[in-house]
Amino acid sequence: MSVPVLEVAGVTRVLTDPEPVTLVRDVSFAVNAGEFVAIMGPSGCGKSSLLYLLGLLDRPTRGSVRVDGRAMDDLSEAARTAVRLARIGFVFQFHFLLPELTAEANVALPMRRLGRLTNRECDARAEALLAKLGLEGQAHRRPDRMSGGQRQRVAIARALANDPAIILGDEPTGNLDSGNTRLVIDEFQRLAHEEGRAVICVTHDASVAAAADRRIHMLDGRIERDGD
Amino acid sequence: MIRAWLVLASVAFAHLVVRTRQTLVATAGVAVGVGFFLAVSGMMSGSQADFIRTLIDSAPHIIVRDEQRAPGPQPAVTAFAGVAVHVRGVRPRDEVRGLKGWSAMLDDARALPGAVAAPSLNGGAAVRFAGRTEAVSLNGIDPRVEGKLIKIEDTLVGGTLASLLTRPDGIIITRPLADRLGAKLGDTLVVTSTVGVLQRMRIVALVEPDARAGFYAGDNAAYALLRTAQVLFARPNIVNQIHIKVGDPDDAQADARVLEARWGYKWESWQERSSDILNLLVVRNVIMYAVISAILLVASFGIYTAVSTSVTDKRRDIAILRAMGFTNRDVQQMFLIEGLVVGVVGALAGFALGTLLLEALARAPLTLDGKPLELPLDRGLGQYAIAGAASLASAVVAAWLPARKASSVDPVEILRGAA
Repeated sequence: MSVPVLEVAGVTRVLTDPEPVTLVRDVSFAVNAGEFVAIMGPSGCGKSSLLYLLGLLDRPTRGSVRVDGRAMDDLSEAARTAVRLARIGFVFQFHFLLPELTAEANVALPMRRLGRLTNRECDARAEALLAKLGLEGQAHRRPDRMSGGQRQRVAIARALANDPAIILGDEPTGNLDSGNTRLVIDEFQRLAHEEGRAVICVTHDASVAAAADRRIHMLDGRIERDGD
Repeated sequence: MIRAWLVLASVAFAHLVVRTRQTLVATAGVAVGVGFFLAVSGMMSGSQADFIRTLIDSAPHIIVRDEQRAPGPQPAVTAFAGVAVHVRGVRPRDEVRGLKGWSAMLDDARALPGAVAAPSLNGGAAVRFAGRTEAVSLNGIDPRVEGKLIKIEDTLVGGTLASLLTRPDGIIITRPLADRLGAKLGDTLVVTSTVGVLQRMRIVALVEPDARAGFYAGDNAAYALLRTAQVLFARPNIVNQIHIKVGDPDDAQADARVLEARWGYKWESWQERSSDILNLLVVRNVIMYAVISAILLVASFGIYTAVSTSVTDKRRDIAILRAMGFTNRDVQQMFLIEGLVVGVVGALAGFALGTLLLEALARAPLTLDGKPLELPLDRGLGQYAIAGAASLASAVVAAWLPARKASSVDPVEILRGAA
């Protein structure tokens, strides 16, 4: 049996300042390669907080997060950041592209930071990723010259830059029209089913949930239901 | 490592280019700071170098005097070593003072690298002309060598030091002294030494005080032939000073110490003679660098503001970079680079501004006593290096504070707020 790409066991996150607030309570589940998972639930139920824990941006108060079977809890911040750079890609509700850089430079940035490819290879891969997402000829445009859908596709290309095993989406279609939502959903399905990545999306969007292989429902920080 | 820096630098550059106005204001602040730093320090340092050069050129680098730094032990103390001796009514023995063995000392001095040395007899005298009397410090010199020891020749009018060789009764006095006496070149003065010997001496040249010439020993200095002075002071074959010019003036103090230990007499270097003035120059430098550093400090506030504003504006970008896999340290270095770029570009622009200011000062039509005055300016690379290093250091410090703040941004907090 293969090791899950991402696994959480008994994860709890409590904020203590200014008052104790439990964002995530005793959450456990595993996600395998090639799986497209939607995390659903009402606003404030802890979906995004869980996503930040999965993406190693935050540390659980209790419990454990494992990436590729390796526990992340005792790693230094630098080591967790290195795992995030190489293995995890984020797509947010808002594109969050760096406005000063072109689409290609935005996509190439994580590759350049990782340093596995030469600058020329980074640029070529960035251009190829953009083309794959239907953005041929847009590589040298800045985000402010692009439509919302185009920006979000650039953000997906950026998330894929270092060929990560895990894609985390935080309401990735929350700001898109139905046409662009369909494009993003199709892309996430392709990433999971054709490229074998684990795709985990926090969403309110029923169409995203419907397209996912598995739906996890959260309420008050807990998993209310894992599956349909 | 370098590649990582280049990646961070590319984002830092992009931040600076987008915020053109703030970047230009901060850069201009540094440029003005560095430019005025160069102009002020160039003037101060140049005038100091000129002043020290005058100090060095005005008198021999080392003067050996017929004095001891501490009186020798009384014979009774030497004769009864180990017992308590109280000597009352000590009186100096009448002796003809002067340097004993001066010829051997002169040879020793001349053996120093690049050294020139000459004997001299100095003493007080009164000069009288047309009913007016003035006191002078008369220097009996060897004109063939003295001109190589001190930069007097450039200030002489009406004659040269060599005139003393052709006129053994010749005397050289300063123009201000001549004016006070009402005497002119060629007039004969009555010179009376402290031992009462009287001699008529003819003015063969005048020393013209001239700030640009770099030599002036004072209004009351007078020069005569050594042999003439020995007659006037009734001290035949006696010299009470040896004047030495060494190859490197900076070595004078060390050379003087070595030879004083060997000969016992007081070997006084120009540094020792001018120690009070040199100490004052140190104080002046401290004040000068404090003032011009304040200019750079003000400029560094511009960098602080620019980087600090950038950090505040880019909090969301910082969170995204962290989510992408950039470390706290990367973020800190990125904003440090922003500050450094402003510092480096500002310093380069400041070098250009400073060079223009120094050029303008060099061409300023200034006069002193009706004569054109060229400001002594230090335009050496050292000044540029100090200004550049100081501006970079202040840029790093100014950028470090907001950069540290940037590195402590919690990406989750920002992303949660943005969601």
